[in-house]
Amino acid sequence: MPPAGLDNLKHIVVLMMENRSFDHMLGGLMKKYPKINGLTGNESNPDANGTVVKVQPNAKFQGQLDHDPDHHFPGVDLQIFGGAAAGLGRVANMQGFIKSYATQGTSAAASRAIMSYFTPDQLPVLTRLATEYAVFNGWFSSIPGPTICNRAFAHYGTSFGNVDMNLFYIQDPIKSIYERMIQAGHTAKIYYYDQQSSTMEIVNLLKNQPQIFGSYSQFIADCKGNTLPEYSFIEPCYNDHPGPGAGQILASDQHPDHNVQEGERFIANTYNAIRTNPQLWETTAMLVVYDEHGGIYDHVVPPACESDDYSAPPEKTGTGEAFNFNRLGVRVPAILISPYIPRGTVIPGPEDANNGLVFEHACIPGTVTNFFLNNYDQRTSREKNSENFLIPLTNALRPDDDCWVFDV
Amino acid sequence: MGKKYKLVQKVPKTPKSAYNHDRFISQLIENQIKHFHELEKGLVKAGEKLTDISKIKTELHASKYLKKMTALLHPQGAKKPRKATQRKRARRAMASKPKSKQARRRSS
Repeated sequence: MPPAGLDNLKHIVVLMMENRSFDHMLGGLMKKYPKINGLTGNESNPDANGTVVKVQPNAKFQGQLDHDPDHHFPGVDLQIFGGAAAGLGRVANMQGFIKSYATQGTSAAASRAIMSYFTPDQLPVLTRLATEYAVFNGWFSSIPGPTICNRAFAHYGTSFGNVDMNLFYIQDPIKSIYERMIQAGHTAKIYYYDQQSSTMEIVNLLKNQPQIFGSYSQFIADCKGNTLPEYSFIEPCYNDHPGPGAGQILASDQHPDHNVQEGERFIANTYNAIRTNPQLWETTAMLVVYDEHGGIYDHVVPPACESDDYSAPPEKTGTGEAFNFNRLGVRVPAILISPYIPRGTVIPGPEDANNGLVFEHACIPGTVTNFFLNNYDQRTSREKNSENFLIPLTNALRPDDDCWVFDV
Repeated sequence: MGKKYKLVQKVPKTPKSAYNHDRFISQLIENQIKHFHELEKGLVKAGEKLTDISKIKTELHASKYLKKMTALLHPQGAKKPRKATQRKRARRAMASKPKSKQARRRSS
């Protein structure tokens, strides 16, 4: 018998934020919550002069990472392997973050900011959600590279061999999770913030299937009106732009150098939309996850993974070596929210040799497909074999007055 | 919030100084624009000029181009969403409208 949390589940909502690592956002929680695989404070990286620089609880909401840290494939390779050239025998050591940031035109002092992390009180929303529901110690970006190809794993279970930001066209027989759902008679939507921010899924989905899209205000209305689809994917606002009247709309994606606090407010508003509808709250699981680490420090070595049958040649990777999609990118924050999740749930990652589980963005279409569509075959074996991110759901429904609401 | 909740977490406001639509666009937005530009090539009519995306430097510039392109592909994104109750009322209103002669003939 599945647990009641799964039996009653009717909606899955995924909110994918931008470019922040696990340690940067949640690493500070380990002091009070030791099961969370965060920071002891002794983690370090050498700077360009070889001086050892420890992680510091001095992250700023804005203005600190104003040179966007490198998160393209060669840059992430430097971050993970510390500068050792591609080839057999090199070992991942997570020692190249400051060296990488120093190549961005930052001063020696400024490059150390890549080791900064937020104290829990600076991020009241993420902290509350991570400690009230389920946090994943072992959720990694799918590729050690940038946004577009990582987000592709969330939509298709693969990036079709791409490791960069160039546009690509999907290849038969792989369909997006939205198309799979709709063709099987289910409902699914991508909600982008507004037309001025738009979506990152352009040449494949927006061009060919605009009907699967909605705006964020539509998401809010759908939550209020009990018309939320079975699967929803939400994109934050990607740029600052004028709003209605003389208003101003702030980017809420938390991509450097957008203000992190505005992203907190966006996460809180999205959570509230579900939380304050009792019918929806008891039948929805919401995943807050980040697409990739944004070039920012994390201490956990990304593990190997099952290849998805594609390969990127050396001229695409920029490292002199082909990439066979057989190792993951850097760790990112991932939190699953539901009233069927006990307070303080931590899903162990690679730090737990016996019980640790490894998650990545292919788990998103993987889990949603398995939940709604049962035996669906037209996807990569990597996606088919990916972990189920709904595992934290239990039989026990927390009372309404035991679950937080945000006053935004 | 109308209903009173027992556990409420206050969320600080973002300072107004955070807003800067003259901020130079990131590589992410640059690539988003490139992807839209590829689509624009297929949508532009004879005699129309393609957007010179090299002139898009700031988030403000980007937001204008993104709005123009998104509106072409997904015009519904600009509409104020209708609440479920409004849609129900609209359906009821349609149902109670007197049938036209044609509709009466069809249903008899």
